[in-house]
Amino acid sequence: MDKIKNHLSLINKDYETINLVTFDEWIENFETLSKLGVGLIIGPDDDIYLIKEQLNFIELIALDFNNFDDGRGYTQAYLLSKRWKYAGEIIGINAHLDQLQFMIRSGITSYQLLEAYQGNNEQDYTNGFSMCYQAAANNNGLALQY
Amino acid sequence: MYQYNVEDKKFLLERVDQFEKQLNRYLSGELDEAKFRSLRLRNGLYMELHAHMLRIAIPYGILSSSQLRALADVADKYDRGFGHFTTRQNIQFNWIQLPEIANLLRDLTDAGLHAIQTSGKATRNITADPLSGLTEGEIEDARPYCELIRRWFNLHPEFSWLPGKFKIAINGAKLDETALRIHDLGLKLVRNNKGELGFSVFAGGGLGAAAMIGEETASFVPIEDILSYLESTMRIYNLKGRRDHQKKLRIKFLVRELGAGEFSRLVDEDWQETKDDPELKLNLKELESLKEDFALPIKSINLDGFKEVVDFNYSIWKKNNVRNHKVSGYSIVNISLTKLGTAPGDATSEQMRILAELADQYSSSEIRTTKRQTIVFPFVRKDQVFDLWKSLEKYDLASPHQGTLAQIVACPGRDYCDLAKAVSIPIANRVQERFNDMKKLLDIGDLKINISGCENSCAHHHIADIGLLGMQKKGEEYYQITLAGETLIETNIGRKLGPSVSGEKIVDAVESIVNVYIDYRNDEEKFTDVFKRIGIDPFKEKVYG
Repeated sequence: MDKIKNHLSLINKDYETINLVTFDEWIENFETLSKLGVGLIIGPDDDIYLIKEQLNFIELIALDFNNFDDGRGYTQAYLLSKRWKYAGEIIGINAHLDQLQFMIRSGITSYQLLEAYQGNNEQDYTNGFSMCYQAAANNNGLALQY
Repeated sequence: MYQYNVEDKKFLLERVDQFEKQLNRYLSGELDEAKFRSLRLRNGLYMELHAHMLRIAIPYGILSSSQLRALADVADKYDRGFGHFTTRQNIQFNWIQLPEIANLLRDLTDAGLHAIQTSGKATRNITADPLSGLTEGEIEDARPYCELIRRWFNLHPEFSWLPGKFKIAINGAKLDETALRIHDLGLKLVRNNKGELGFSVFAGGGLGAAAMIGEETASFVPIEDILSYLESTMRIYNLKGRRDHQKKLRIKFLVRELGAGEFSRLVDEDWQETKDDPELKLNLKELESLKEDFALPIKSINLDGFKEVVDFNYSIWKKNNVRNHKVSGYSIVNISLTKLGTAPGDATSEQMRILAELADQYSSSEIRTTKRQTIVFPFVRKDQVFDLWKSLEKYDLASPHQGTLAQIVACPGRDYCDLAKAVSIPIANRVQERFNDMKKLLDIGDLKINISGCENSCAHHHIADIGLLGMQKKGEEYYQITLAGETLIETNIGRKLGPSVSGEKIVDAVESIVNVYIDYRNDEEKFTDVFKRIGIDPFKEKVYG
């Protein structure tokens, strides 16, 4: 794994450790990295359209929601999950409690809350509504009314 | 009239519960100021100079009498007994205490009222012509479309954290009372050459420091495809909109930077991927059901033999305040809340209750609010207009100012608002005092004066005949003057007259401008037409010369 400069990793749903590379590293070293089964960290500035044709080679994708007011991650999640039907996990990292409902319905498959939010009842924020007014990437078991 | 059902009200309560938890986390120090700001704005809450302001939506400007009573109750229970009707079909309460907000919102849910997305970087309340459904020659009543689009973008997961605020207006009438081309997105209901209904879409309009007129991005989007088209527009804005510069957040900057052609090409490219998705088609069955909910509650009546009462004051009021209805036997009545010494758009709880009572008696229990901060009774029988006037007069609500210069639009200004650079209401009052002569007002005719206390342009000064914008110069209040803004037939941003004028001299300047207009106009020529004919110079000479 010495080819991977960034030593961040995430555990996937099968409890395997997946090494993560940044978006720029991936674009630069696609030929090498695409054979290694790595995951990708994508920030709001990253042009997600550049990896549209490479999704089959990416083990998982971590979308960074750290910036509370930057809503690009929701569109990135939508494009990956609904439009491009990315088969791997889409993990919302650095997630804020108050935005979980938006992240989940935009198509992330799991999330990692920022530490500051530990101790809160996540259920209140992931599923506080009985219905919704629009079809989205994931309707999260809500009654649709539109 | 259309009312929220049980599920809608449950949704509103769930939203209040969620906001209350966030508020409590903020009050206990668990949630920081910046994040709470983002969350509270999406629930209509501003932290203001003296107390906190809460903005409640009045979707497409329609209220039932019971909703107006609920607002009156809120004014008494949580505010100081009054509310402020805004230019964008909302009502604001200015003296709210933080710990009481959740209960206030709960009180309103029963009446189907809420503050969801009345602020913040998300889709705001969608506005429509306040006379929707009432006037001749309408292409289509915009309200059912407003409601379906409003719902769709209510807590939309993908578009609730946009680069900037996002205002949509929809017009289905011949004249554009909504000013749709000064909105982030303006939708105009049109028919194509096959007679099918659709929307022309205009993106990138907006007032503020850099006022711009929206450009057409699609000439015809079929009604059933409008949701996917709007989603594509917002998706491009969400991904590419400026987030790096506080003053360039709105979609208007993106549209100008990319060019309208390139912007609409990107939107179209995205739209090709989604337009056939059955989940994104407008629900035509729901549309039909909404059309029934919005159907007029009146049928034409024969008033042969009815004779209008002859009364001088009544006829002045009637000339200014009453309009023809498309349903024979009925009138549309405008009620101005404007009185000398009061703030434009302000209504006391007592006035709200009286209006609710009169609406029950004379207007099928329905009330509408307008961009000019007036109240409309949409369904008044012609043979009851006089009785209504008598009642309004009894309660001091029969101001005949509607359609005259004295019906000034003003934001709360520096008296109430943290952002304002100068006062608005006292200037409005001084102008009204200067022109406090009904004969003169009638002679001047329909001339619109709008006063904003800062560049945020809440009073839409750019689209008034005479627009005043408050600013600070060496610690003193000054006003920049713009002339001949308009939106009804064509959209034009008012032109800057010259250097700003001090608060002391601004009323003289307004009077000079009005005098130039009177001197130069032919017959009933409108202010904007005179301006186009004679240009800006005669106005400049009179004000600065």
